[in-house]
Amino acid sequence: MKKRRKNVTETVADTTPVTYMNPVPEGEIPMLRLTHVNYRYSAGTPFEVKALDDINLNIRRGRITGLIGHTGCGKSTLVQLFNGLNRAESGTVELDGEDIWKEPKEIGKIRFRVGLVMQYPEYQLFEETVRADIGFGPKNMKLSPEEIEERVNEAAAFVGLTPDLMDRSPFDLSGGQKRRVAIAGIMAMRPQVLVLDEPAAGLDPQGRHSIFSGIRDYGRRTGCTVIIVSHSMEDMAQYCDDVVVMAHSKVLMAGGRDSVFIRADELEGVGLDIPLVTKLTILLREGGMKIDPGLYTVDAMEDALCEAFGLPLYCDSPDGGPEKGGGRA
Amino acid sequence: MDDASTLERPVLIDVKDVSYAYPPESSDPRPVLSHVNMTVREGEYVAILGHNGSGKSTLAKLINLVIDDYTYAEGQILVNGRDVMSDDITEEEILDLRRSVGMVFQNPDNQLVATIVEEDVAFGPENLGIPQKELRQRVDDALETVGMTEYAQHEPHRLSGGQKQRVAIAGIIAMKPRCMIFDESTAMLDPMGRKEVVATMEKLNREEGITVLSITHYMDEAARADRVVVLSDGKIILDGTPDYVFDHAETMRAAGLDLPQCTAAAKYLKTRGVKLEGSLTSVESCAEAILKAWRERQRKEGACD
Repeated sequence: MKKRRKNVTETVADTTPVTYMNPVPEGEIPMLRLTHVNYRYSAGTPFEVKALDDINLNIRRGRITGLIGHTGCGKSTLVQLFNGLNRAESGTVELDGEDIWKEPKEIGKIRFRVGLVMQYPEYQLFEETVRADIGFGPKNMKLSPEEIEERVNEAAAFVGLTPDLMDRSPFDLSGGQKRRVAIAGIMAMRPQVLVLDEPAAGLDPQGRHSIFSGIRDYGRRTGCTVIIVSHSMEDMAQYCDDVVVMAHSKVLMAGGRDSVFIRADELEGVGLDIPLVTKLTILLREGGMKIDPGLYTVDAMEDALCEAFGLPLYCDSPDGGPEKGGGRA
Repeated sequence: MDDASTLERPVLIDVKDVSYAYPPESSDPRPVLSHVNMTVREGEYVAILGHNGSGKSTLAKLINLVIDDYTYAEGQILVNGRDVMSDDITEEEILDLRRSVGMVFQNPDNQLVATIVEEDVAFGPENLGIPQKELRQRVDDALETVGMTEYAQHEPHRLSGGQKQRVAIAGIIAMKPRCMIFDESTAMLDPMGRKEVVATMEKLNREEGITVLSITHYMDEAARADRVVVLSDGKIILDGTPDYVFDHAETMRAAGLDLPQCTAAAKYLKTRGVKLEGSLTSVESCAEAILKAWRERQRKEGACD
């Protein structure tokens, strides 16, 4: 432990130029910035595994970012660095322009600012009522009872928990409802950044839509920066502004979702499950149809198909067709 | 599999007018199943779709006697001709039934009992009193079927989710069941694990001839079945081939289910008057149908030039 801390203080001086980092608009300070971040499990033993390999990444403020990659690609390790639950072996994690480990004793405060909802958080409920469970975080922040009450009600509304459920035991609720209670518990702390690890795992399609749209509304209305870790490209395409793709402990792509989905064949190359619509675009393009490569929603695909079938332009040049249409994706 | 050959096969599971509710004193005494009728024939691959709380898991648990309190159940469930809900069913028959209808659950961490993979696979057949020599053979065969032979000596808790589920599946096929029920067995897996388990399910059905009942809410998994049954609020609302079921997009949407994206896009094209032929359930078949229509159109338009 001691050794690792020492490493970190040394590497603060790591000024090696960053070869690539996803850009942020001029003048914007990213909500989170990671520079030269490295992390190994069981370092120094025969079981050593490199979990994060020179990560350089910006997470933009007020946006919803999807973090995607295979199991074992390092994404869960990465999110545990965001709120100081884990400490990088080297490199820096900046929150709102400041190194989160500047005052290691104050790391507890960072955890109020970056809320982390773990996988299957419904197993972590413990209070006697839904109200008390959601209020646990705010209570720890030593807020007044009125303030706690207000935050609890607000958070419950975001995740769609009705008032009649508030005094029930969380253990009497369905799996989907329990999940909502756990998410509301973090939202009630009003963090600057909300990180959710697979918030919709195991839910049916309706449950997925409702959880994801609740999270998106929360982000839009509060201006909170939201990071969602997921396996589902289809969900990410629908609900995120930015997408970060990880593979083999590195950041493979990062940026607006258009810029990521246009590289669909690369995504497939690393074995990720691209949205079925995107897969369909690839197959149609292989079959000779001229369709934008980066389509990822059914609506965009419907428009593209209409164009491909409807325009007399194709009549003139059966193998030509128009140049790539403008970025509909 | 074509319909004619399926219909000639013997009926394995016959669910006749089954209703089920939790006890009236429970917090939610609504009926979980109401008047469900469903027939599964030997060798079929049936997917059961439905939102959470639609009753699909309850139905599976009734078939396999995981729920064995029938106080609030009505109707008949015939498995291999025997009514599992009748009062005079013997302990012997129950064991026999569980051996012929195996079940794989959702959480890969809750199903493994031993500290070594092959011991876990042997647990079931050993309890059936299978002699050592045959036991060895069955375990080896089962591990090979699920592609886990090289992990025979591994510790289950170190495996990935998909691998754990495959070990759980091996543990059941080592008991030589005629039917396997997968109760959302892919819901907690990552895409890679899902692919492994779905491929294993298909292999069991197509190569080993095991009847498969797969409860899922993944449309792309349902699309690969011979037949899809959709449950909503305890009732069967659709029952047919994937193409038939996906033709009822509105009914599915009302039941909280979406069409696969590729099917939705292709069907939209159809509503716009483009003729698409063949199945529209997989992304490959959708692409094929769209490309065929597109080439056809180009040829015509080229000719009119």
